[in-house]
Amino acid sequence: MTAEVVTGVEAAPVAVVSRGRSARLRELAPFIPAALLLGILFFLPLGVMFIFSLWTTNANLDIVPVWNLDNYAQFFNSSAYVRTLGKTVIMGAAVTAICLVIAVAVAYFLARYISRRWARLALLVIIVPFWSSYLLRVYSWQAILGEKGALNQLLVGLGLIAEPSRLFVYNDIGTFIVLTYVYMPFAILVLYASLERFDYTQLTAAQDLGASPSRAFRYILLPQIRPGLITAAIFVFIPILGEFLTPSMVGGASGLLIANLIQTFFKNALVPQGAALGFLIVAFVTVLLVVFRKYLRVEDVYARG
Amino acid sequence: MTVLDQTHSRRRFLQLTGAVGATAALGGVLQACNVIGGGGAATTGTFNWMTWSDHWIQSQLDKIATDTKISTAIQELAGNAEGYAKLKEVKGQLDKMSGDAMWVPNAYAKDGLIEPFDINELKVSTQLYSFAREFPYWQSSEGYMAYPFGWSPIMIYYDPAKVSGGPTDWQVLLDPKYKGRVVVENQPEEIVAYMARAAGFDKPYDLTDDQLTTVKGYLEKLKPNILKFAQQATDSVAAMVSGEAWLITGNLGNEDRVKDGGGPEIKGYVPSEGTVGWHDGEMIVKEGANKALIKPFLEQSQQAELIAENFLANGRPLFNEKAYKLLTDQGKQDQADRYLYSKAPDVLPTMVLKGPGTSTDKSIQLFNEVFGGG
Amino acid sequence: MAKSVDPLETMPVSRYAGLTRWGLRVVFALLVLFLYLPIVFMVAFSFDESSTPGLPIQGPTLHWYDVMIHNRQLLTAVGNTVSVSLIVSVLATVIGTMAAFVLVRGRLRFPNGIRIIFTLPIMVPGVLIGIALLVFFSRAFHANLSLMTVIAGQLVVTVPFVVLIVASRLQSFDRKLEWAAADLGASPRRTLRHVVLPLIAPAILAGALICITLSIDEFVITWFTVGNQPTLPTYIYTKVKFGVTPEVNAVGTVMLFATLLIFGIAGLALGRSRRSPARRRAAPPA
Repeated sequence: MTAEVVTGVEAAPVAVVSRGRSARLRELAPFIPAALLLGILFFLPLGVMFIFSLWTTNANLDIVPVWNLDNYAQFFNSSAYVRTLGKTVIMGAAVTAICLVIAVAVAYFLARYISRRWARLALLVIIVPFWSSYLLRVYSWQAILGEKGALNQLLVGLGLIAEPSRLFVYNDIGTFIVLTYVYMPFAILVLYASLERFDYTQLTAAQDLGASPSRAFRYILLPQIRPGLITAAIFVFIPILGEFLTPSMVGGASGLLIANLIQTFFKNALVPQGAALGFLIVAFVTVLLVVFRKYLRVEDVYARG
Repeated sequence: MTVLDQTHSRRRFLQLTGAVGATAALGGVLQACNVIGGGGAATTGTFNWMTWSDHWIQSQLDKIATDTKISTAIQELAGNAEGYAKLKEVKGQLDKMSGDAMWVPNAYAKDGLIEPFDINELKVSTQLYSFAREFPYWQSSEGYMAYPFGWSPIMIYYDPAKVSGGPTDWQVLLDPKYKGRVVVENQPEEIVAYMARAAGFDKPYDLTDDQLTTVKGYLEKLKPNILKFAQQATDSVAAMVSGEAWLITGNLGNEDRVKDGGGPEIKGYVPSEGTVGWHDGEMIVKEGANKALIKPFLEQSQQAELIAENFLANGRPLFNEKAYKLLTDQGKQDQADRYLYSKAPDVLPTMVLKGPGTSTDKSIQLFNEVFGGG
Repeated sequence: MAKSVDPLETMPVSRYAGLTRWGLRVVFALLVLFLYLPIVFMVAFSFDESSTPGLPIQGPTLHWYDVMIHNRQLLTAVGNTVSVSLIVSVLATVIGTMAAFVLVRGRLRFPNGIRIIFTLPIMVPGVLIGIALLVFFSRAFHANLSLMTVIAGQLVVTVPFVVLIVASRLQSFDRKLEWAAADLGASPRRTLRHVVLPLIAPAILAGALICITLSIDEFVITWFTVGNQPTLPTYIYTKVKFGVTPEVNAVGTVMLFATLLIFGIAGLALGRSRRSPARRRAAPPA
């Protein structure tokens, strides 16, 4: 009896536990499209780019196969790159933090207090604004946060400030606000998927056992939505490292992030230099993920039964 | 049980809708994919043209298609460097390419991507200003590299109510009085070039290391004055209209755009130290499958009437001389003169044409150094 | 009884429960306000006479809607973008969900390493992927660029999102439900279709919605891999020299209301059910 139960735990009913090669192949078959997609359309082309990054451009804008590491060395030649990367990481972390906090609150509300049908409608209502052109939305933010913008007019009208403030946009605050705006729906969608399955009776049980709401939240809810929190963090933090449009439009002259510096090379047909910088960022993030893998590893919470 | 059935039927419905929708979408996509027409040697058909959005007007293209049965499929250019990168790879999938002045010889022609032609062969070329047919950098042993279209210097615009003293040079951008009141385009190599010209250097795209060091100082003085980088011309204009910016750089025509947006009367000038600028043209792609259609198309599309219409729609000067006369007849000479339409011979020599240079790499590094890291 | 929510669900767990619930309602309302604030302006600017967006708004006028209707390039672009987004989202969801199952349950050798590999396409700057694909399609495949190549390129950056979100949901999936189904005689396929998939549906839905969002405004990769077909992002972002004019706002407004309308109708059509779905949660089926 016990042996059968253990076997049941190990393998999903979906997969047949068998040592045969063809059975293993069948088990892995659903993975093949994704593997082919990434293998052929991602790793191969980027492998070529990686080789380009080790070459150089001549004055004629041709990529010539002169092997060198200059493109990578330039990152360390000037402190600007390291400083910008640091600034980007801090900005990314700040945006991730606030997105997670608000998204947990909103997703919790939708998952717990709203019936599923209305919750799905609410999700659609939340995501639909992001199906419009990003450029137009940022222009709107400029009109809202600018010196003659709606926010200033409101604050001055209410008498809260004497004259319009230039604090809200064309600086890091502007970047922060717009990035939070752009990535909030992703965080909400991910966390809703996570919170929707949570068994809220556990919180009742916790109360019965004498736990305060905040303890219940911290020790019961949070650990169980950890996979969702981590996924949401990945969906917000990592793309921010590649954001160049927002910083250039609302970040002001001092607001450039690392992706802007990469973009400047590509805009001038300097592919090897840009590629090298891009790969350095990828290496950096990979190192981050590997270093923090202990926190990222999500155990099969229910598998042990 | 009922609940599962319900799920079942709802899922069925969703599956069905999804499948139908996806099929319809796929059908639409496949139809849109149709063709990168293999025209053949015929003098009718469709050719593929990658160009800036101001080089064509839909109604003009439709009329030409009706009259001559030559139609065109447009692809929009994102930038000279991107266009060059794409043409290098797709080659024959394009037939006609628009590009800025110095990119033509220094990128497209030297890679053998385009086919120079005898410009005098085209009857419509007699409508051009004569100097436009004789740009030395566009001449090669095989012919003329491109058919010239439009041009503009980079000007500085200011709000006279906020900027006193009637500035005439680049230095005004560096004045600490205007902290956070300047908007420049989001084109790093151009920003470096502006400062190079401000420093008095003749070759802003071919700077020596010493010159770069000098330019760095200028950039550092410029940085606190910049409010934002403009992604498109609309950004600069909007900033002027709202009064957030008092000084902007840009192509010709911004006075009208700001006025149209409800903003103040602004003045523009070509900086006295000299400026940078561009002029563009149409190139024939050497491996283009339908390139035979291009010359007949040019004969139609470059006619003065169409050029005049284009000028009025987009507001920057063009190289068609006959169009200037047409505009004068239409009573638009005032506007044409404001846009320096007939002044090309005076202004072109003061501007260094944008294009790839020997110091591009170092200029970008310089820009990153100054503007990176906050 | 049919309409009410299971009392066990919403029984207050603390004396702050009522306050918490109201607080959350306020947070939700503020969030929706925050998300729609720029949209309100986007819509308002479509009625602005001036061709430059900015306050104050002059007008109102329907001029730009007129321009939009007659702008064939723009309308074709919208059609292409919508088609591509739907196709990409369907394909990415299918490919990604399948891969997620294997990632979580396939007893792979290095699951965390593979997960990091799936995160790579999100890390790499889009312009790098775009140029890489351009070079690859042209030189390795000698392919003509078209919306097909665009779809392929967009799949590269959307599939990872689906894989990660579905995998994270699968990881906390209660296997006991599957054993119960097996005990009741369901084959693995039936279990998959009737137990597993419906219960991870929110994750799949979230993945699909994210894919559509990513695809609809995807510019960089699209520009490098498209042929002579216009798409909405390329139409908008290539107006560098002279800027976009408000017929783009008009298009955005129309798309917004059309989408909301479609969802509203779909919601009404599908929601015609007597039993409230809220009862399905946690409490055993009646």
